[in-house]
Amino acid sequence: MAAAGSSKPLRLLCIDDEMRILRALKALLRDCEVQLCNDPRQAVAMAQQFDVDVVICDQRMPQLQGIEVLREMRNSVPRAMRILLTGYADLKAVLGSVNEGEVFRYVNKPWENAELRALVAEAGRIAREAAVISSEPINERDASEARAAVGILVLEDDVNAQARLREILAPHYQVRFANTAERALQILEQYETGVVISETESRQGDLTALLKALKVHHPHIATVVITERANAQTAMELINQGQVYRMLLKPVRMGSCRLSVDSAIGRYWRLKANPRAIQRFAVVNLPSFAQPQLMISASLLTRIRNLPSRIIEIVRFNS
Amino acid sequence: MVMLWIFALLLALAVLALGLLGVRLRRLSAQLSAADAELKKREASQAQVMHTTKLASLGQMVAGVAHEINTPLGFVKSNVEVVSDLLGEYEQAVTNVMTGVDFLLNADAATATQAKALVIKARGQLSRATGLNEARELLIDSVDGLKQMSSLVMNLKGFARVDRDGMDVINVNDSIKSSLTIASHQLRDRISVETAFGELPPVKCMPSQINQVFLNLITNAAQAMGEEGVLKIVTVAKAHSVECSFEDNGSGIADEVLPKIFDPFFTTKKVGEGTGIGLSIVHKIVQGHGGSIRVTSQVGKGTRFVVELPVAAAPTSALSKAGA
Repeated sequence: MAAAGSSKPLRLLCIDDEMRILRALKALLRDCEVQLCNDPRQAVAMAQQFDVDVVICDQRMPQLQGIEVLREMRNSVPRAMRILLTGYADLKAVLGSVNEGEVFRYVNKPWENAELRALVAEAGRIAREAAVISSEPINERDASEARAAVGILVLEDDVNAQARLREILAPHYQVRFANTAERALQILEQYETGVVISETESRQGDLTALLKALKVHHPHIATVVITERANAQTAMELINQGQVYRMLLKPVRMGSCRLSVDSAIGRYWRLKANPRAIQRFAVVNLPSFAQPQLMISASLLTRIRNLPSRIIEIVRFNS
Repeated sequence: MVMLWIFALLLALAVLALGLLGVRLRRLSAQLSAADAELKKREASQAQVMHTTKLASLGQMVAGVAHEINTPLGFVKSNVEVVSDLLGEYEQAVTNVMTGVDFLLNADAATATQAKALVIKARGQLSRATGLNEARELLIDSVDGLKQMSSLVMNLKGFARVDRDGMDVINVNDSIKSSLTIASHQLRDRISVETAFGELPPVKCMPSQINQVFLNLITNAAQAMGEEGVLKIVTVAKAHSVECSFEDNGSGIADEVLPKIFDPFFTTKKVGEGTGIGLSIVHKIVQGHGGSIRVTSQVGKGTRFVVELPVAAAPTSALSKAGA
């Protein structure tokens, strides 16, 4: 599992309050240098000390929740890729892992050994190869430049929800609305779009497949999912196969919506300047088990694939 | 003539009055049958809700146990596979030594030195191989995990009484412990439980019902405490009964609400969070056992429920009516 070539073994930090889980992970991932931590309060310091590539963290621990640990990791050890390993798929944890922890993947206990090994290898490779971009907000001058250059697409067919989003977003961004996947693609073909805000379902059916396909081919576009019918399973799949950037529940609150969209545009802008960081947010190169099963028509898929790439590096990245 | 008129008038009035009376009577009887129907509907829906409550507590139980089992299942499953890999690696090291030994046994003067070198190398590798020790440690953890899972399953069986129904003689402390296990996923990492279990005489009761009472009180306490809190559970033996108290430091119950909490359908929870049937079932079950339940509460400080169960059994007929 050592990273490509003869480079040194990956460095891992596993955090769980249960020692027996930690020992099992250490044995499973014995090709890596594994540090074990059963007190989440020490985790960030350990990650810094050992300059780890990948962090695997439990969610439910008595001293500190996994999401809080990962949020702190994101700020203090941004190079490390974050994996949440949990026996518990509750919605709050899943949403927190996206919105606060910005996790790379969300894995359920009991895990599949081969899958976890492959996932860690992939995460480690990315951590070593891909550039790091800051998660701090971009400065105001860049932000206003970004807002002028980059559009926002809202894919939502509910009139009230559209009106609400228009009210929140229109004064600040170039926002365009689509009722259907068809119309959404037209907009994406025509305009440089940095953020896609979408429901998980429309009257015409599921939208998550579209979001996942879009991510496979255009990982630089940040996806903000706004959903009414939240369920932990769908949310988990949207992380693992769609790398959603934020997930908000309806009714949409102005504050959290603005914050999410601002930071999504910020990330797009940073990726545009530093395309080598894109891998961190991609869903390609995954072990086969985690490849999204795209339930989407061939013609739509072709159009998604052929969307103009507005970031030079992406062409190379996808080939 | 006038008399006749007056008489006719009186007669007409009497008829009118009778008619009105009849109408009223009919209305009353309609009201009565409506009330009767309403009562029947209420009873039916109460039975329905009781059934739903049972299902809900079953669901809660399954969710709890599934979660508790996930952790040991996670590492045991992983360990067993890793042990198999480790054994494979060790087997290879042993095979290398054996190949060397065969080579040495068949060696002539020309190849003896080479064969010896091979054996020494393979032997060195074997002696450094840590696979067996690692495998043993993983197996020790696994046995531990399996024990944990089997005790969870025992617990579940004990809680649900799938193998036995009806009366049994039990230790109430065990009943509370298994209810705590079932509720543990709702308590874990936010609520700490302090228990003081006294020496209790065995109590004759319907364990599946008594477990439901304890689970209900524990979950209610957990919900009342929100983000974090302390649940104190104390059991003591009295002259002819056992007393179990459940004390939380949660939101408490307002004075005007307190007398109503055992009423069927009374709830302060939001729609979807509770049916309002929980405490009324608790009350019914405890009464059915010839016991009593008391509550004291202070808003902002917490609530204390005390369940008292007689050591001598109540008549079986009373029990089968309660909460069935």
